Amino acid sequence: MSNLQLSQVRKSYGGLEVIKGVDLDIKSGEFVVFVGPSGCGKSTLLRMIAGLEEITSGELSIDEVRMNDVDPSKRGIAMVFQSYALYPHMTVRENMGFALRFAGVPKAEIEKRVNEAADILELGTLLDRKPKQLSGGQRQRVAIGRAIVRHPKIFLFDEPLSNLDAELRVHMRIEIARLHKQLATTIVYVTHDQVEAMTLADKIVVMRGGVVEQIGSPLNLYDDPANLFVAGFIGSPKMNFLKGTTEIVEGRTYARLPDHGGSKIPISLEAIAPDTPVTIGLRPEHFNEAGPAVLDLTIDMLEHLGGETFAYARHGNGALIVVETKNGRELKAGDRLAARFDPASALVFDGEGKRLR
Amino acid sequence: MNGIGRFAASAATYGFLGLMAFLSIFPFIWMVLGATNSSIDIIKGKLLPGAAFATNVGNFFTLVNVPLVFWNSAKIAILATVLTLAVSSLAGYGFEMFRSRGRERVYRAMLLTLMIPFAALMIPLFVIMGKAGLINTHIAVVLPSIGSAFVIFYFRQSTKAFPSELRDAAKVDGLKEWQIFLFIYVPVMRSTYAAAFVIVFMTAWNNYLWPLIVLQTNETKTITLVISSLASAYYPDYGVVMVGTILATLPTLAVFFFMQRQFVQGMLGSVK
Repeated sequence: MSNLQLSQVRKSYGGLEVIKGVDLDIKSGEFVVFVGPSGCGKSTLLRMIAGLEEITSGELSIDEVRMNDVDPSKRGIAMVFQSYALYPHMTVRENMGFALRFAGVPKAEIEKRVNEAADILELGTLLDRKPKQLSGGQRQRVAIGRAIVRHPKIFLFDEPLSNLDAELRVHMRIEIARLHKQLATTIVYVTHDQVEAMTLADKIVVMRGGVVEQIGSPLNLYDDPANLFVAGFIGSPKMNFLKGTTEIVEGRTYARLPDHGGSKIPISLEAIAPDTPVTIGLRPEHFNEAGPAVLDLTIDMLEHLGGETFAYARHGNGALIVVETKNGRELKAGDRLAARFDPASALVFDGEGKRLR
Repeated sequence: MNGIGRFAASAATYGFLGLMAFLSIFPFIWMVLGATNSSIDIIKGKLLPGAAFATNVGNFFTLVNVPLVFWNSAKIAILATVLTLAVSSLAGYGFEMFRSRGRERVYRAMLLTLMIPFAALMIPLFVIMGKAGLINTHIAVVLPSIGSAFVIFYFRQSTKAFPSELRDAAKVDGLKEWQIFLFIYVPVMRSTYAAAFVIVFMTAWNNYLWPLIVLQTNETKTITLVISSLASAYYPDYGVVMVGTILATLPTLAVFFFMQRQFVQGMLGSVK
């Protein structure tokens, strides 16, 4: 188990800066997930931690030792790649023991560690097979096994589940969570799938354009996003954003929503000037029948998931709003929907997308 | 298209393919039949098996120091193939894997050398070999073929399919660049190597013009030169020439026969 610190870490390719000063402190044993859209720099940052990309400036340290110029194999890390990166000409056993063989570990010790990892990952019967004789899930387990045998201080996972089908992805997600509990090792995990991030992470790092937008626990990010980007990225279906301007009526502040029939929502913010552009954030589950505020909508489309129904509705030609309804089985497209909610649950963002509290 | 039209189109296609196949295989058949006939029969255009095979073989072995000639050819072909594959695969790997400022310019300049005909290089090469004291040595035959722009191009194109994550994984596993090349790249790309081996070996084995210029004594000559000298004798014995040609074809046939599966795979791409 090990700490990992990044301090003002930057990466440039020529004149193009792709990582723009990242500060991050990962504690020993933490499961940290980097999440963000394609091209946000999350994989580059992971590769910088691994030593596969040079750090242009800033400092990377593991257990308080500067690692910027240390060879990848000497950093005490092990990495699991998106495409598994198993050596196709070697058997599972050879793949798993390859790094140890190169490190000069005695044969008996290699055998012991490979067998231990095979037991953990239930690979015992596959040890003499070549990667092409394995299924996607088995290959992924071998890739994880190859990392385990090295007894690394830190595991790095680069979108390890994105090549698997939906069912296997869920299964492997649970496997990885179980593995983290069993090995209690620090894990840094990259994904663009926010469900993976929410279910696996102790701490999520949301990135965009080479910048860390917010760091926090999954529920903290879900409940208390720092800006529109994080609010929109975390949660599925994503948060509804209702554009409006502030109005002060009899000393109370309201957001008037022109795209939604001019509805007025009371917002509990003080010291905000009238006519300030704001965005109101409401998650689909914020709508409930007991809420005091209401949006008058017409249903465009319905998604019945069995337990709940998501109604995609709008007012006139306004923007679509996703509403979770518990008793929506009888609804149909074209129905009127009085979407009630508690204004206290609404999040308010300013014109630049920054959260107003 | 109706049934008759389809039949006509199909017949035309197969007719054309059959003609092309015949044109390809005819010299081979002629060579085999020729080896069984006397020189006179061959000149007369006899295309049936004859009874002179044993005589022709005997004459060939009398006229030619077969073990020496084959040893010369094999030595040159194997050396040229091994060195060309080593140098060209390293160059192809380097061109594809390492980013550098002038990489593409150097690569394009190298490809341009493909446009220079060998006839334009013969004299400068001969002068260089002369100054290096290598005339009439097998090294002189091998050296110019090692840095083959075509084989480097082939390896670079094939390396594009080599997963970069394998290289990353090997780095994390503690391998140096040369170890990645040797222990990961070479085994993973073995079909590419096999295909390149077949092409380079055949070219080196069949090489004629350059050995003709630099190899000047009978002790150093290769099978192609010997067959050519038999054919251009004052009274050429074509039956003997055909026997020599058959024997000269056997090694390339064997190489292709043993490596055909990997050759095809290599042509399609090593990495699946």
